[in-house]
Amino acid sequence: MKEEVINIKNYSFRYKDQKEGQALKNINLQIDKGQFVVIMGPSGAGKSTLANCLNGLIPNFIKGKYEGEIIVMGKNPAQEKVGTMAKNIGLVFQDFESQLFSTNTKLEIVFGPENFNVPKEEMEEIIERIVRVVKLEGLENRQPFTLSGGQKQRLAIGSVLANQPKIVCMDEPTTDLDPVGKLGIFQIAKELHQDKDFTLLIIEHETEEALEADRIVVMDNGQIVLDGKPEEILPQVDFFDNLGIMPLQVPKFFSCLGLATDDLPLTPEAGLAKWKDLNLKIDDAKYQALLEKDEQLEKRYGDVVLSVSGLEHVYPNGNRALKGIDLEIREGEFIAILGHNGSGKTTLVKHFNGLLLPTGGQVKVYGKDTREHSIYEIGKDISYVFQNPDHQIFSDTVFEEVAFSPKMRGFTKEEIEKRVKEALKAVDMEGYEEQDPFSLTKGERQRIAVASVLSAQPRIIILDEPTTGLDFKEQRQMMELVKRLNENGHTIIMITHTMWVVAEYAHKVAVIKDGEFTMYGRTREVFQQEDKLAESYLKTPHIVNLGNLLGRTVLSIDELLFCTQKG
Amino acid sequence: MEMFLYLDEDTYMHRLDPRTKIFIMIASFAIALMFFTIPPLLIIGALIVIYGSSGKTLSNLNRIKFVLVMIGFFSVVIWSLMGQGETKILGPITLEGFLYGIAMGIKIDIMIIAGMIFLSSTKMEEISAGLVKLKIPYRAAFAFSTALRLVPMIVATSSIIIQAQKSRGLDLESGSLIARAKKYIPLLIPVFISVIRGTNVFAMALESKGFGYSEERSSYLEIGYKRNDYIMLALVLLLLIVSIIVKFTTNI
Repeated sequence: MKEEVINIKNYSFRYKDQKEGQALKNINLQIDKGQFVVIMGPSGAGKSTLANCLNGLIPNFIKGKYEGEIIVMGKNPAQEKVGTMAKNIGLVFQDFESQLFSTNTKLEIVFGPENFNVPKEEMEEIIERIVRVVKLEGLENRQPFTLSGGQKQRLAIGSVLANQPKIVCMDEPTTDLDPVGKLGIFQIAKELHQDKDFTLLIIEHETEEALEADRIVVMDNGQIVLDGKPEEILPQVDFFDNLGIMPLQVPKFFSCLGLATDDLPLTPEAGLAKWKDLNLKIDDAKYQALLEKDEQLEKRYGDVVLSVSGLEHVYPNGNRALKGIDLEIREGEFIAILGHNGSGKTTLVKHFNGLLLPTGGQVKVYGKDTREHSIYEIGKDISYVFQNPDHQIFSDTVFEEVAFSPKMRGFTKEEIEKRVKEALKAVDMEGYEEQDPFSLTKGERQRIAVASVLSAQPRIIILDEPTTGLDFKEQRQMMELVKRLNENGHTIIMITHTMWVVAEYAHKVAVIKDGEFTMYGRTREVFQQEDKLAESYLKTPHIVNLGNLLGRTVLSIDELLFCTQKG
Repeated sequence: MEMFLYLDEDTYMHRLDPRTKIFIMIASFAIALMFFTIPPLLIIGALIVIYGSSGKTLSNLNRIKFVLVMIGFFSVVIWSLMGQGETKILGPITLEGFLYGIAMGIKIDIMIIAGMIFLSSTKMEEISAGLVKLKIPYRAAFAFSTALRLVPMIVATSSIIIQAQKSRGLDLESGSLIARAKKYIPLLIPVFISVIRGTNVFAMALESKGFGYSEERSSYLEIGYKRNDYIMLALVLLLLIVSIIVKFTTNI
C-alpha cells in the first residue's frame, strides 16, 4: 500500500535578502513511504533550500516568504518548532565538521534523545543500535575530532537517526569525503533502505551513485524539471548535458554513436553487451595513435623542476606520515596525486612549497633545497591553491584580492596592474575587478583563488582538490582553465578525488597509501589496473571500465569514439 | 591537530562531580587573588601543580607553556618599569617593582593553570550538566560550553588560513610592529567568515536534532556528589579558611 510521507503543494519560497526571483518556484512533489529518492541539479537549483523546508528550518530559522504548503508525516513544518519535526525527519548536512559538537561518540548520539527526554536506560540501547547501524563499533569513547572524515559523517548520520525519524534527508553528504568515506555512506544508505518503512532522500550530484535509487528528481532554477525512475531519467544524456549535470558516460557514448534514448545501456557491463550486439570493433591503428600522443606529450617536458628523494615526515605527535617518497617532476608535467584522507598526500604536497619541512630526505624546487630557503623565497616559483577559496579571500574587491601576491612581493603599480589583468584573463574573469569576491558563486571564488596565485607568476602550481563542491559545469570550467595553464607552460600538481577529472586531464598519476607510493605512471597505465586501484579504494570512471572490458584503456568518451570502428 | 584541552583519562579527578571541580577552580582563583608576595603564591602554585598531576592533567602544560612564559615575562617587564619602590637596581627599575612583577606573573599563571586543570578533566557536557544542577538554565549552560568549544575550532581554522596566506607570499616575520599588525588582516577576515559559516551550520544541526523541543530534558551523564567529592570540598574549604586567616593575621 502506498502512503505519502511528504506532500508538497504549489510551494514557493523567497529568501529574505534575495533581491530577485524565488529560490523555489511552485514545487509539487509527493514522496511515498519507503522510497529512496535522489535529488539532483546544478549549483543554485534550490536543492538545499527544499531540504531545509522539509524540517522547518525554513521558514522558522532561515527567514523568507513562502507560499503553498508542505506536509511531512501529517505535520506542517512551517507551523511547528524545528525541534518537533526532528522526530519525524532528520537532516544531515554536507559540512560534518560543524555538525558534531560533543566530547565523544556516545554523547553525540544521545544529544537528540536527551532533548526528547528519553530515560537513561533506553539511551544505552539507542547507542548500541546506532553504532551498529553506522558502523562505529569500538569508537564509542573516541572524541569526534579524532575520527576520519567518513567516520565523522557517519556519526552525524547516526546522531540524527538516534531520534528514530521515519525520514532522513542528507544534503550532499559525500561531497567533502574521500572515496572510502563515500563508499561507507552509500553502504549505510543501502542498508537503511532495506527497512520498508524508512524513507531516504539524498541530494547528490554524482550520477553514477544515483543508479541505486528508486526515483530521481532533477531540479533547476527552483523548479522540478524531471522526475522518474533512474532507468527512465539517466538515459536522457542530452538533457543532463544542457542542464550542467554530468551524464552517465556509457549512455552518453552510445548516444554519440546515434542510438535512440530508449535503447541506451546504463552501466559498463550493459555497454559491453550492446557493443557486441552492434558488432563494434576497436580500430587498433587509432588506439596506437592515442598511445603515441601520450609519448609525444612526454617528449615535450623540460628539465626536472621538482625533485623529492627519500622524503620522510614524522609529526611532533609521532605520526609517521611519509615513509620515504621519491619523485621527479619535469617542467610542463600535469600530475595527479591520489589517495584517501590520511594517506599522506596533503602532507606530501605541503613539502613542495616549504609549508612543511622534511624530517628525513630532501625536497628541491628548481635546485633550491626547501630547508635552506624560506616559503617566501620558494613561493616565487611554486604556488599553492588551497581547497577552500574562503580560506584565502579577504579583500573588498576582486582586484585587491588578485593584486595581493604581487603587492607582497613589492612590484610597481604598473606591473601589479598588468599582472592582475593577465591573471583575470587566464581564469576568464575579466571585468570582475570591482566586484566583491564574497558575492560571487563558489565556482567563481575558486577561480579568483587561482587568479590570486597566478598573479605571482609561479612556474609550478599546486591545486588541492580544485573541483570539490563545484557542479559539473563549474568543474569543467575549472579544469579547462587548469589545462590551459598547463599548455602555457605551467607545471601542474593536483590533489583530487574526482576520478573523471584525473582521467581526462592528468598526464601522470601517483597513488599514495600509508605514506608510500603504491602506483606511479602515465594515467593510461595506472587506470588500466582497476584491481590495484580498488585496493586504494579508487574507482575508475565508467567509460574507462568499458574500455578495459574491451581490452583497451581509454580515458574519455571522445577517445573511445575516436577508436570505435563500426563493424 | 589536537583541538580540545580535555584529556580522556580515568582518574579520581575525572570522576569528581563537575560542581566540585568548579568550586575548586573558583577557590584557587580566590586564594591566588588574596596574596601579593612571592612565598605564599609559590606555595599555592605548588599545591595547584600537585592537584593537577593527581588527575594526570599536566601534559597540557606543554601546550600552554608559551602563554605562561610570555605572561610571566611581560608581567616582570611591565611591573619593573611601572612599579614604585625605593631600592633602585638599574635605571628606573626598582627591586620592589621587580619582585612584584614576579609575584603577579605567578598569580596569573596559577589562575590559568587552575582553569586548564578544570578543562582537562571535565567534558563539556559535564560542565553544562554541572551548571544546570547549579540552577543555571540549560540554554545558558549549553551556550557557555559551546563558547569553549569554539576556541579550538578557531585555532584549527586559523592554522589552515595562515598556511594559505603564507603560500601567497604573506611574510609575517619582517617589518615594523605596525606593519606586521597590518599583515594580520588577511588572516582575520577569512577566520571570521569561516567561523560564522561554521556556527550557522552548527545552529541548524542543533535545531535539526530537537534542541529546545521542551524544557524537560534528560541527561545521559549522571552527576552527583560522592565520597571523594565531600573529601575534596572539605579540603578546599579548609584551605580557603586557612588562607583568609593567614591573610588577615599576618603581613605577607
